[in-house]
Amino acid sequence: MTFVHQDVWHWQIAAYLFLGGLGGSTFAISAILHLFEECDKKTLSIAVLSSLGFLALGTIFLLADMLQPMKAMYALTNPNSWIFWGVIFINFYFLAAIVYLIPLLEMWPNLLPVIKKIPANILELLEKFNRLAALVGSAAGFLIAIYTGLLISAAPAISFWNTPALPLLFVISGFSTGAAYLLWLTSFSSNAMSDQVMDKLEQLDAALIVSELVVLGAYFNFAFFLPTGARESAEFLFHSPVFIVGFFIAGLLIPLAIESYGIFFTKNSKKSLSLIKTASILVLIGGFLLRLYVLKAGLYQYPW
Amino acid sequence: MARYGMVIDMRTCVGCQACMVSCSAENQTPFWSDKFRTHVEDKERGIFPDVHRVLLPRLCMHCENTPCLSACPTGATYKTEDGVVLVNNDRCIGCYACCIACPYDARYPYESDDVEHAEKLYGGLATHKVPHVDKCSFCDHRIAQHREPACVSTCPTHTRIFGDLDDPASEVHKFATSGKATALNAGLGTAPKVFYIPS
Repeated sequence: MTFVHQDVWHWQIAAYLFLGGLGGSTFAISAILHLFEECDKKTLSIAVLSSLGFLALGTIFLLADMLQPMKAMYALTNPNSWIFWGVIFINFYFLAAIVYLIPLLEMWPNLLPVIKKIPANILELLEKFNRLAALVGSAAGFLIAIYTGLLISAAPAISFWNTPALPLLFVISGFSTGAAYLLWLTSFSSNAMSDQVMDKLEQLDAALIVSELVVLGAYFNFAFFLPTGARESAEFLFHSPVFIVGFFIAGLLIPLAIESYGIFFTKNSKKSLSLIKTASILVLIGGFLLRLYVLKAGLYQYPW
Repeated sequence: MARYGMVIDMRTCVGCQACMVSCSAENQTPFWSDKFRTHVEDKERGIFPDVHRVLLPRLCMHCENTPCLSACPTGATYKTEDGVVLVNNDRCIGCYACCIACPYDARYPYESDDVEHAEKLYGGLATHKVPHVDKCSFCDHRIAQHREPACVSTCPTHTRIFGDLDDPASEVHKFATSGKATALNAGLGTAPKVFYIPS
């Protein structure tokens, strides 16, 4: 039996997985907040625009890693492949996010002349379908976040990846990075509603980090008790200082401690603004490191 | 329809690597980048003084349940009616999903540098004209001419036995059903069509 590190997917794919989870969840959280809560529409429009940017950048990383990126449209051929579904989810997401975003841009006076160039009946239509676009985009965002885990779990010989825990871990981590990014973004808003939104985001992110810790615990417990490559992978991660310090301590435990302090010991999130920003950035760095190191820990179990 | 497969008799392999050379010449695999469709693994097993050497020729297993085919989003990987798993080079986007899915390390990227090198080396006879993921084809072009794959016809010790697994009169069927032949990583459920008789 030989264990060999996979050497075809590197940091570019880690960036794609990270940005996919971040972009999809940023949209889903912001659109759902907008549907059920009052929020600052200017900040909301920046959030939606940046979620589009994250996914566009992620797609560029994926294309840059391909041998023949110009033929990428062929990826819509085989529905048995997760990449096929990823392309479908991302395209639905882009369509819904653009429909949702355009009416929001009317909040920006500088952009009004551009928006007004769109025929009035189309603008009316976009506004009419605004809530539907929010729901469709949120569903697509969620599916993109979970797809990033499903994509790499379809590797029968990499037992550390070939588990239902990985898509679950990636979707929770993706939503945690989305909540953290929105928290960071909202911390710049001077709108009266931003304190309330920040409190909610802080609670959401803390709950997601706790869930992530539970799933991580179950995942590593499963890996350590398997007499396969999964145990080798788990041991590799346990002996990687960047994974332990960068992801586990700095990317999970420290932000959880900061956010718990904000939730339980301060009445207003504004009081610990710099700490909140630090926690958010740490969660984002941790989210990327998680994907990078899970890819690095992909060990084939060859029978020779 | 035939169901092509191979039996590898590890008792007779001497590790001469003639199979790798003939495959490379036949299929223009990028040997200059140390990439081959077939390898001979040379492993030492055991702890001194109880040690032995294992020579294990390996290639694409042309699985019945094909993880690379499911992973390929473009349909570039496909299976012929005879069960041979092939790649349509023009359709491959090189996303590596098949390489990740393959449990047998049977695939490698034929990168743009390799295509350029092949064009210099083989000129108008070059067969790999675009970058793609490459793998063993059981020499399908030779099968079409009723010839054996290059690695099989070259092997001086008759280690590789090729043919129709469903033909009771074939040598490969007799070896595959002898009770001595096993598949690699059978627990994964891929149902390989390459079998091994251990040394």
